[in-house]
Amino acid sequence: MVTFAIAITILFFLMRAAPGDPLARVSEGRALAPAELATLRARYGLNQPVVAQFVSFVRGLTRGDLGVSIEYGRPVTALLAERLPPTILLGGSVLVLNFTVGLWLGVRQAVHRGRREDRWLTTVSLVGYAMPSFWLGLVLAWLVGIKLRLLPAAGMHDPLLGADAGIAAHMVDVLRHLILPVLTLSVVSIAATMRYQRSAMLEVLSLPYVTTARAKGLPEREVTWRHAWRNALFPVITLFGLWLPILVTGSVFVEAVFAWPGLGSLAASAVWGRDYPVLMGASLLVAALVVAGGVLTDIAYAVLDPRVRLA
Amino acid sequence: MTRWTPRAPIIATVALLSLSRPGLTQSNQAHRGSIVIVTGQLATLPIPTLMEGPALSVSNLELADQLFLRLAGMGPTLLTTGDRGFIPLLARSWSRRDSVTLVFELDPRARWQDGAPVTARDVSFTFERAKNPAIAPRLADLLRRIESVKAEGERRVVFRFSQPYSEQLYDATFHVAPLPAHLLDSIPPEAVARSSFAAQPVGSGPYRLVRNVSGQFVELAANPQFFLGKPKLDRVIIRAAADPEARLNLVLSGQADAIDNVVPPLENIRRIRADSTLRLIPVPSPTVGFLLFNQRDPRDSTGSHPVLSDVRVRRAMTLGLDRHLMVHAVFGPYGEVPYGPVSPILWIRHHAPRAARQNIGEAQRLLAAAGWRDSDGDGILDRDGRPLTLTLSLPNTSAIRRQMSLLAQEQLRQLGIKLDLQQLEFPLWLERRSQGRFDINFEATSQDPSPSGLRQGWSCRGGTNVAKYCNPRTDSLLDQATLGRAGKDPAQAWAAVLRQIEADAPATFLYAPSYVYAVKRRFRDVVISPASSWQQLRLWSDGT
Repeated sequence: MVTFAIAITILFFLMRAAPGDPLARVSEGRALAPAELATLRARYGLNQPVVAQFVSFVRGLTRGDLGVSIEYGRPVTALLAERLPPTILLGGSVLVLNFTVGLWLGVRQAVHRGRREDRWLTTVSLVGYAMPSFWLGLVLAWLVGIKLRLLPAAGMHDPLLGADAGIAAHMVDVLRHLILPVLTLSVVSIAATMRYQRSAMLEVLSLPYVTTARAKGLPEREVTWRHAWRNALFPVITLFGLWLPILVTGSVFVEAVFAWPGLGSLAASAVWGRDYPVLMGASLLVAALVVAGGVLTDIAYAVLDPRVRLA
Repeated sequence: MTRWTPRAPIIATVALLSLSRPGLTQSNQAHRGSIVIVTGQLATLPIPTLMEGPALSVSNLELADQLFLRLAGMGPTLLTTGDRGFIPLLARSWSRRDSVTLVFELDPRARWQDGAPVTARDVSFTFERAKNPAIAPRLADLLRRIESVKAEGERRVVFRFSQPYSEQLYDATFHVAPLPAHLLDSIPPEAVARSSFAAQPVGSGPYRLVRNVSGQFVELAANPQFFLGKPKLDRVIIRAAADPEARLNLVLSGQADAIDNVVPPLENIRRIRADSTLRLIPVPSPTVGFLLFNQRDPRDSTGSHPVLSDVRVRRAMTLGLDRHLMVHAVFGPYGEVPYGPVSPILWIRHHAPRAARQNIGEAQRLLAAAGWRDSDGDGILDRDGRPLTLTLSLPNTSAIRRQMSLLAQEQLRQLGIKLDLQQLEFPLWLERRSQGRFDINFEATSQDPSPSGLRQGWSCRGGTNVAKYCNPRTDSLLDQATLGRAGKDPAQAWAAVLRQIEADAPATFLYAPSYVYAVKRRFRDVVISPASSWQQLRLWSDGT
């Protein structure tokens, strides 16, 4: 909680210290008369000293009120609530793929170390890791969305799909729109997870207790997944804690390329327009995810390692 | 465990292919009577009197045009002066009582979308709110010369102006569309933005709002009771994609039927042209791009700029650039070099001379006359030991301005002028601009159809005159042109303004582009208004 409070305080004052004014964009093409500017500044609370703005922000925060977006003219909580589900859907899908397919492939590589499968997957993972996700997104959208017309090139819904189409049709529609952005984000993240998992697994597989398990005649599948893998998970769990906030903040480019209506694009436009209330709201969420990532990592450590106990 | 079989990838591929079967959802099907338009930003508050400050966006203005009808619309010439270049909408006719009184007769067929008739009281109520600086400071300023708006009975509205001038009808009809007083007079002005009316507006226009899916799209349905005829397209979807590449992909993949501006590079236009189902429609844009020369020293705004306060240097820079080549390189055939600060939607451009061509010899002569010579042979001109080096500031968000800047840098280098490019984050660029902290600022202004807006940037006390250009003669010419006294030709008055500005060269006017729209060929009767892109959508039809 203290970490959270410090982070929020620093963020608030850093944002206000950054050059640029939320109303500057309005006055680019047409000058605002002093009275007009004063009206707008008062409307958005920008006429108050920064400390007073901070006090007002903290008071609102205690009531769950993050203020009103300067750009959208709507409560920030409502905007975040609308943008969070698409982000969770996108980020969650990537996380699930990452920590299922990525782990599985990493273990397979370690088990088949030096063989053709390992070499092939190593090459693929290195290529995937080196690939910029925005570039991959552009290529996929062009190839799959435009040339082959297999999947939608952008968006989250087909706006022409009527409300009477049924839940199944809507779910399939979202799933079709989800595939390309998930694929784009997953290629890089799975490659990283594979590399981490492979090296952790190799380390564990060389430990004496694994040799003992094999000597006892345990099936190889049981040695790998029950005895070795459990201990090879710790570096990957740390990675999970780090990925959690990155999946919100790190998908800005992919959200832009695929017109995905998530938090990343909202935060990016808020930075551009110096929409302080939205920026603070998005930062709060990211800070919460950082803390949550740390807590979840600690819990996972405690579950997997009997030597670790939560205080 | 020992033999690797790629089952998972195969299963995933099969699942993917089954999901992508055409016809599973409707996205690849043509929807008769519907149109999907992709644009950069979604409307947030398309209510005529509430589009102030950050809510003053093209998306809000364009959606408001579908929901709310104005008293009169602009004709195809976009002429803002006089009373004849306008098309009746809510008002079926108008007449003059004297030089400061304009009378509108409302069309008795006009109805709000809840069935109530549009009355003169709606008009007077709307202007009362629009002229209140506490509610609508921008509108209040624009409507400052409208003294009063009074209802005379149910159908007659009388506008009284503070002085005679040529754009009275424009001021009365362009800036704000009437709102339904019977729904809004019980809501305090400051509460309208968060009221149910703002979420589900009831207008008098050809379309009504069905739903607004945040960050994704807005759905409109045709208003069957629309008194000028039910729109031929039943459903309009306006979907948003901030990224230009995503917008293009939506059209090229068949997920959208129209796009409102295919931005350079020209490769994007070539991609659209290669799609036989799409047609390109260039439309005059409200944009004009120019290099603005600071007349003040950016380090000490009380002093003159050590280099750019000399008109010979400014004119030499203008003549040193091959602006036609630059425009062609960036916009292809979809742009022109403007004469003065005039975008393609300003009617005064038709009366302006052609922009001067590059003239290196004259540019060199002007620089030499101003004392700039290459005394040390390094290729850069100098005077009193000071090299002719200037900084050009531009926002890093604009690919067009970046490309133009590189071309200008190279061309001016050949003239002996060193141009350092300073690309800044947009808010920082704006801040430095408003503070006058620049040598040359790369501006791209979006203009209203009225040339009277030129006062803002080019008169001594103009609010956006950040470069502090000041010539009392220009001010006097602007006054004469804006007032448009009887017996004087407004076109000639504005031509004189432009000639004076060109002679003073407070900026090098670089480009006035057309916006290139792309629309599916299946749509017929496609008309796009430069003043508001989709205003004529009610007349479009689906030819399938």
